[in-house]
Amino acid sequence: MSDELKLISAAKAGSAEAFADLVNSYKIRLLRFLLTRCSSHADAEDALQDTFIAAYRYLHSYDPRWRFSTWLYRIAIRNAQKIRSENVVEFGDLSDEESDPLLHCIAASETENLWLCARRVLKDDVFTATWLRYAEDMSINDISKALDRSDSWTKVNLMRARKALDSEMNSNLNGSEAYG
Amino acid sequence: MDKLATQLKQDAARIEVQVSDELDRRIAVSLQGVTPLTPESPPARQRPAFFWWASSLTGVAAALAIIAIVNSQPQPTVPLEQVVATSPVPEATTPTIDWKTESAMLTRPLQRELEDLQSDIKKAEEKVKRDIGL
Repeated sequence: MSDELKLISAAKAGSAEAFADLVNSYKIRLLRFLLTRCSSHADAEDALQDTFIAAYRYLHSYDPRWRFSTWLYRIAIRNAQKIRSENVVEFGDLSDEESDPLLHCIAASETENLWLCARRVLKDDVFTATWLRYAEDMSINDISKALDRSDSWTKVNLMRARKALDSEMNSNLNGSEAYG
Repeated sequence: MDKLATQLKQDAARIEVQVSDELDRRIAVSLQGVTPLTPESPPARQRPAFFWWASSLTGVAAALAIIAIVNSQPQPTVPLEQVVATSPVPEATTPTIDWKTESAMLTRPLQRELEDLQSDIKKAEEKVKRDIGL
């Protein structure tokens, strides 16, 4: 049994310390993802907090056949959507750098970060699928589960995302010498 | 790993994220206030031990009372003439034949009508025999 599964079992048995360890091992990764999905840093933090609360509350329903990260991301995606729908702020409105939480986290010299471009050209679900695939190394099957989509949807849209990002990358390379 | 995948991975790592102490504290405090749900169903309502016996006895008493009431009512006497024997076997249904007949207009005494009809039949027979060459 892996360390993570041991922690999950202990947390299910009522160990708050074990769940705190799980929180510590996922908080950075989840916050980084939520910053790409929320309209402000505060919203991303709220979504992170809500995600861990929901995960702790419903830990008994976690099925070990899933990867824990898949289950956790599924909750995080739902919380981010919920917070965004409450605030009704679209990413298209985040034109100024002051309000975009992702821009805050990218050094000034790296404003051509491919994820900024991805967020501009990809739809929400496709962006999330791309993030889970390339930033989190998730399998197609896990991404489909996290997004509640079919495997074929995930494959097709990842391919489309690659195509879109490839062309963006090439146009940037043509426009300037280096990318990123 | 291809160029795009490498670039995406590197760019994701370049997104600098820090979880502040305040957020850590917030999460810890909020988790303390959460009680994990358990899959167990809520316990069944406790009933007194004699509940089963009491409900069974009530049921039996009600059944006996209904039997007694039904038996105490006088039986209606049916006259023998009214008892009609019915065949336990359903009657065979005979197929209806669609006779190509016409009703005769009886205008004379029956004997006369019968003779007329018989002579009509005879004439018709002869006509048929003639037609078929007999």
